[in-house]
Amino acid sequence: MIMLDRRLIEEIDWVLIALILLQSLVGVLFIYSSSHFLPGAYHVRQLVWIGISFLALLVVLAVDYKFFVALSGYLYVLIVALLAATLVFARFVAGTKSWISLGLMQMQPSEMAKIVMILVCARLFAEYKRDFLTTAHTLGLLFVAGVPFLLIVAQPDLGTAMTFVAIVGGSFILAGLRRKAVILLVLASLVLGIGGWNVVLKDYQKKRVTSLINPAGDPRGSGYQVIQSKIAIGSGGLTGKGFKKGTQSQLRFLPARHTDFVFSVIGEETGFLGVFTVIALYFALLARMFLSVSKARDRAGVYIIFTATLLLAFQFLVNILMIIGLLPVVGITLPFLSYGGSSLLASYVACGLVLNVKMRRFANV
Amino acid sequence: MPEDRIYEDLTIVRRRANAVFWIFAVLAFLALSYYWKVQILEHRKYLDLAEANRTRSRVLAAPRGLILDRDKTILADNTAAFKVSLVRESVKDEAASYAAISRLLGIDEPTLRDRVALHKDLQPFEPIVIADGLTSKDVAPIESRRRELPELLVESEPQRIYRSGTLAAHILGYLQEQTAEELRARPERPTRPGELVGKSGIERVYDDVLRGDDGLAIEVVDSLGRVQNENARQFPVQGDDVILTIDRELQAEAERALEGREGVIVALDPKTGEVLALASSPTYDPNRFITRFTPKEWTDLISDPASPLENRAIRGLYAPGSIFKLVMSVAGLTFGYVNPATTVYCSGATQIYGAIRHCWYEPGHGAMDLSDAIKNSCNIYFYSLGRRMGINQIALAASRLGLGRKTGIDLVGEKEGLVPSSEWKQAALKEPWFPGETISVAIGQGQLQVTPAQIALLTALVAARGVPVRPRLVSNVPAAVDPAPPADSLFKESTFEEIIAGMWRSVNDGGTGAGARVDGFDVCGKTGSTQTMSRESAERLARAGRVIKTHSWFSGFAPRVGPRIVVTVLVEFGGGGGATAAPVAGRLFALWKERMKPR
Repeated sequence: MIMLDRRLIEEIDWVLIALILLQSLVGVLFIYSSSHFLPGAYHVRQLVWIGISFLALLVVLAVDYKFFVALSGYLYVLIVALLAATLVFARFVAGTKSWISLGLMQMQPSEMAKIVMILVCARLFAEYKRDFLTTAHTLGLLFVAGVPFLLIVAQPDLGTAMTFVAIVGGSFILAGLRRKAVILLVLASLVLGIGGWNVVLKDYQKKRVTSLINPAGDPRGSGYQVIQSKIAIGSGGLTGKGFKKGTQSQLRFLPARHTDFVFSVIGEETGFLGVFTVIALYFALLARMFLSVSKARDRAGVYIIFTATLLLAFQFLVNILMIIGLLPVVGITLPFLSYGGSSLLASYVACGLVLNVKMRRFANV
Repeated sequence: MPEDRIYEDLTIVRRRANAVFWIFAVLAFLALSYYWKVQILEHRKYLDLAEANRTRSRVLAAPRGLILDRDKTILADNTAAFKVSLVRESVKDEAASYAAISRLLGIDEPTLRDRVALHKDLQPFEPIVIADGLTSKDVAPIESRRRELPELLVESEPQRIYRSGTLAAHILGYLQEQTAEELRARPERPTRPGELVGKSGIERVYDDVLRGDDGLAIEVVDSLGRVQNENARQFPVQGDDVILTIDRELQAEAERALEGREGVIVALDPKTGEVLALASSPTYDPNRFITRFTPKEWTDLISDPASPLENRAIRGLYAPGSIFKLVMSVAGLTFGYVNPATTVYCSGATQIYGAIRHCWYEPGHGAMDLSDAIKNSCNIYFYSLGRRMGINQIALAASRLGLGRKTGIDLVGEKEGLVPSSEWKQAALKEPWFPGETISVAIGQGQLQVTPAQIALLTALVAARGVPVRPRLVSNVPAAVDPAPPADSLFKESTFEEIIAGMWRSVNDGGTGAGARVDGFDVCGKTGSTQTMSRESAERLARAGRVIKTHSWFSGFAPRVGPRIVVTVLVEFGGGGGATAAPVAGRLFALWKERMKPR
């Protein structure tokens, strides 16, 4: 099983790995710019996490993805148990219970849950040979995804929970959605949405949605982040204010500068040119991943590549739209760029899975 | 199942994956377009917002100009103090914030909230002063909690201090914060938050002179309002000084003389109109307005029946009593009802219009000419004169001599008083004038009302033999009001000489004003005792168990030739003018005689 012969190593997509590392280093640069005046050396920590995540990626490469898929059931049970434990035992961090302490390291099981979900989907649809999705499969996947989803919502970590929509939705799309099913899903999500608004969503989350519609309505509250972020991006202009010279970030007007809003710092300090470059890099990276779908040797591989890529694409799009005020602020990190070990690790592992599938396209079944 | 396939055909799923990729590509492009819109098309707007975010202009308070006495001794000075302001924008948790501020500054929460509410019209980023006049010790606990309380701003600011406490309080006036209504009513007088502005006295009248030009510092701040850097600074310019005509020593002596009494002393130079002393008792400490009263102190102050805040010199209305005999004399001579030699016989009482009228001296003064009548303040002489002259002639002379209108002194809130006439009575009371009322007016009673300042000015006019002056408190700033009125051609200089002769005898020849005599200073004066008293005052005195006495007047000048000073004294409920007011005036004449010697 763990046999990395020369042929397999030759098949590793080094371009993709280079793009990931490049993107991560850009992230370190702007994490430094936006937090160098704070104690904590976030850029150094991020570098360490990049190292750890890269090692994890290599480990993922070493094992045939089929093994992970086969293991997904156990992983699923484990992660659901972890999420449940998190809810009960975890230390409170920033008002949420999403962190679990592993000695010196802190982990967010919800980030790992995304990976598990990718594998579960691949497992569920590996032998699926119909052109369109059946009701039984739909309900089955909704149930399987629903349990960790609700546990994550309960933390409450709406942002991570939202990424499940990408994974599950991606799986549905691949399996084939009839028009009738699309309408049903839309209706169901509407009902769930309205119900969720009134029952599940906390006030701070509702505020985030309302502040999207009218950010100036509560400039010191939820709207504040969006306003400051938009000011940062807009004031960057074409070429930006220069590295470490963004007034919005350096003077701390920008919230969550090194985490969720790191792209605002890029927008402010490097302007539209920087924004264009980073988005182009992303596009290259994600396009390369999307197009790897044709390299997958089996259905499970297609699902892994597609859902993992869709997950990153979803986070990327939601993040860059949220920080400029086009979507509500739902704590979704920008993959590779935002500060945060768990998020980084999850992104690297997701890429690792894609690379894994891609490099084993000629492997004998 | 017909859809089942034997072999793995991934074409469909790959096609679907590609479709999703293209949707993603389009969305990514749209996102990029939106960034183009915000960063390129709306760049200017967001750049301005970022600039406004990071800079804050802070007003640097300009010290007020000093107020000096005529010898340039500082009466109103400036000292350094700290003030604490609240920036509402930076308040995270209102309840916790107010609780902490209340604890650290020792202000109770409702008061704090009231102060903030007073300025609720200000922008949330503008600081609201919640405490000022603090020492470095007071602000130390706040400075040490700067991180926990970013909403608090501690600044050092010049603060008014009246070095001599209550001295000349009614002249200097006091400073107070503008009320919300005043802020709205006087948009042309922009104030920085918490600025104290002149509310009374010189501080008010010369507010525009005294207040300087505030400076401005453009500071770079972080999101917590902490100053990171300063971009530009415009230094504040101190206001101009105001030099008073007041003589500190004379003022102090006047205030000492009135201590424990309710009354007024006005001293002025009859040639120039410069006010040398102006004391109103009881008084107050203007410093207390700066350090702020406790609510109880303030209530006590404004509800004090003796009204210490009122400047009685210009706002107290009194019957002039026998002082008015000066006006009667001028009128009698001018309109030809008497000449200096005309005599009236005083038997102590006389019957006029069917009523018995008494002189204050019951045995009677005997035959009196004008000079005797002034010297002895004989009522009978002036009853007779008043009856013959009639109210309208009296009113005409009184008006021309400055009664019934403001003196034009540079203080606010001056009252006009009242000179009754038949026209006035018809208009005001819808009643005809009764001749009997004229008799009361002739000795300064009845509806006549004057302020001590008017009497001082009237005396100055007599002393200057009819050359009028406008009273002035400030020597270095041109008067905002029109200069001295032209001399009234109605009165002849010789008229005043005759009256001055009587006034001289009143003080120096065993008359009623003998108490004001100063050797070698030729004091001329007239006493007065008024029976008029308001009902409230009478009740208040009765409650206090005091004997109800008359108000005590003296007004005079010295020396007789080339007069240098006019002194008017009014002591409320002081008894006879000769007994109480004249000796007080004498103290001031004596002091001024010394002060005039070359130093």
